[in-house]
Amino acid sequence: MNMIVPLSELRPGESGVVINLQGGPNFRSKLYPMGLAPGVIIRVLDRFQFGPVIIEAGGTRLAVGKNMAAKIMVRKL
Amino acid sequence: MAMKIVALAGNPNVGKTTIFNALTGMKQHVGNWPGVTVEKKEGIFEYEGERFLVVDLPGTYSLTAHSIDELVARNFLLNGNPDVVVNVVDATSILRNLYLTLEIFEMGLKNVVVALNKIDLAEKKGIKIDAKKMSKVLGVPVVPLDAKDGIGMKELKDVIVAVAHGEVEETPIIPTYEPAVEREIEHISKCLEGTKLVSKYPVRWLALKLLQRDEEVMKLVERHLGQEGLDRVMTHINEVEERYGKAMDLVIAGQKYEFIDGLTHEFMSYGRAGGEPFTDQLDRLLVHPVYGFVVMAIVFYFVFKFIFVFGLPIQNWLAEAFTDFGNWLAPHIASEALRGLLVDGIIGGVGMVLSFFPLVFLLFLALSFLEDLGYMARIAVLMEGILRKFGLPGKAVIPLILGLGCNVPAVMATRTIEDEKDRLVTMFVNPFVPCSARLSVISFLAGLFFPKESALVAASIYALAFTVAILSAWLVSHFVKGESGLFVIELPEYLVPSGKALLLHSWERSKEFVRKAGTVILVGALLIWYLSNYPVPIGTGGSYAEKLGHLFGPYMGLMGLDWKAAVSLLFGIIAKENVISTYGVLYGTAAAIRSAMTPLQAYVLMAVTTLYIPCIATIGAIRAESNWKWAALATAYMITVASIVGILIWHVGLLLGWGA
Ligand SMILES: Nc1nc2c(ncn2[C@@H]2O[C@H](COP(=O)(O)OP(=O)(O)OP(=O)(O)O)[C@@H](O)[C@H]2O)c(=O)[nH]1
Repeated sequence: MNMIVPLSELRPGESGVVINLQGGPNFRSKLYPMGLAPGVIIRVLDRFQFGPVIIEAGGTRLAVGKNMAAKIMVRKL
Repeated sequence: MAMKIVALAGNPNVGKTTIFNALTGMKQHVGNWPGVTVEKKEGIFEYEGERFLVVDLPGTYSLTAHSIDELVARNFLLNGNPDVVVNVVDATSILRNLYLTLEIFEMGLKNVVVALNKIDLAEKKGIKIDAKKMSKVLGVPVVPLDAKDGIGMKELKDVIVAVAHGEVEETPIIPTYEPAVEREIEHISKCLEGTKLVSKYPVRWLALKLLQRDEEVMKLVERHLGQEGLDRVMTHINEVEERYGKAMDLVIAGQKYEFIDGLTHEFMSYGRAGGEPFTDQLDRLLVHPVYGFVVMAIVFYFVFKFIFVFGLPIQNWLAEAFTDFGNWLAPHIASEALRGLLVDGIIGGVGMVLSFFPLVFLLFLALSFLEDLGYMARIAVLMEGILRKFGLPGKAVIPLILGLGCNVPAVMATRTIEDEKDRLVTMFVNPFVPCSARLSVISFLAGLFFPKESALVAASIYALAFTVAILSAWLVSHFVKGESGLFVIELPEYLVPSGKALLLHSWERSKEFVRKAGTVILVGALLIWYLSNYPVPIGTGGSYAEKLGHLFGPYMGLMGLDWKAAVSLLFGIIAKENVISTYGVLYGTAAAIRSAMTPLQAYVLMAVTTLYIPCIATIGAIRAESNWKWAALATAYMITVASIVGILIWHVGLLLGWGA
């Protein structure tokens, strides 16, 4: 079965569908308008040890902080 | 008849400013929204003799109540009665941009024009958009644009005017959600029925916002339905979510994107797969934890050079020109009091304000260039991990480094930081970074008192200053309200910025600086001038400045310094290099200074001069970028820190036997 993992665990080149955003409503409402909501397909472009994860979602490139990425649950594709 | 109002709304970086400039030309004005430090731009757009007021709303991804920018934009759309709302949409990322568009539609606005911008870039990426179909699908006019080259502007103007005159019938599409959500919308709408709220706001919007737990709307409802009424609604929502097993806002956001996805299939197609390999490759280099820093160091080197190598000579030249003008004018004024006031006070003060103009202008030019280029976002990504540990955002690295030159442009540079809390913390600690004026004090004293190890001593002062800055950031970030550390930013495509837009932008912002910081600088300059000339000139021992110095003498004694240091530091508030020149006035020669102090005292003086207070121009800049209270707080904080550090160094030094 396809696993559900935090976005922070995807490696560069891997894709996933956003399933859930953990954390408070404040946190979530910051992500929605950037294109991160349930059902959206994302692809990880780059990831470095300490810095944010760089992803592509809905045709735009986003950098997501490490802590935030840990709260975005995706189903690996 | 009042002018009709055209509001520009859209995501950041979609080309709003470009369109704003194309509509208004040079007839524009930059200010602040009342009560907040969000930039407000207004201008006049003329069309066949009729004049329209164009208001540029802050660029936002959404219209929630969580950030001031979004709240400002939202309140203007709801209560500002715009006659036309131009929603600028980036054709290269339609999906995300339409999220905001739908939010605008859900507010019940029926006078929206979608400006489909960057159509040239979209074509290059292989995205095909049928604007006519898009217009039919959305139910509002859609005008394709390449604002950078002015293509489509004529059509946009025509449509704006037509909508303003009520000649266009609009039926904006409103997303429908799954039955469970729709049922709740209906239920909540019923609860709100009969209140005054419903006549002021679209009830569906209110219901949706309540489902998403929007704080402002909750407050509104509380005011009209009372605490009980609000509780009833919120308890109901909690129950529904429990039954549903999912938060409503999550469901709504997901379905909104699903809805958008459905819409776009009707008017958009991708020629070839997206993803610009060039941008990806460049990103890999620029945010790389090793190469990224190398590139950043090189970029900063050039920015620094650009601002200070060009700016400082012009600044000096301007300052001299004002001095010369004063000297020329002086003999022409008979009254001595008036002469002093005019020449030393006013002309000196105005000269100082204007002499900062070139620095600030060049700074804005460099920053806008990096911002439009797309590099600023990469710097934020690169530095976020490190600086966040100390309560600072990644972008704080720019003001921290610029501060080494001059804290005034550095404080102005905090503007590029989106988050209010981050911005406040960054500008609060910035004055600790030793500027070039303080370098002159440090190197003078280090050279005089520590001739053998002057470089090491100077370096230790810099290390001290940066440590204090970083620790203060960590401390202050715990006290400023707001959520930070939620880091998610867009990495825009790299673009070559347009020179004209850069110049216009920088010019407007620099003018604003002069206007806002200018008053503070002028008042400060006049005050110090007064203190040093009344009732008798300084040097005689009877001036107010010297009396003040004596008043603070005992306090200075706590850190091993005397009243003369107090007077010098007072003058240093005008400009830090004055600390040394005032010592010169009070003592006469360098040798006299050398014999009047021990090296330990000199070291304390260096540390205190570096930390004690922002110069008057920096205070003005902080005030311009935040408010009086914040500027006063930063000043008080610095005085406190400098005192503590000064006393510590003095007493620890004495204990270690370095007093002699
Ligand atoms: N190729 C192309 N570039 C454009 C177009 N419109 C704007 N740009 C560029 O996009 C960048 C951003 O434009 P701005 O007008 O500063 O965008 P903005 O929405 O005001 O951005 P913020 O001030 O960050 O909110 C600039 O470099 C413009 O030159 C366009 O139609 N085509």
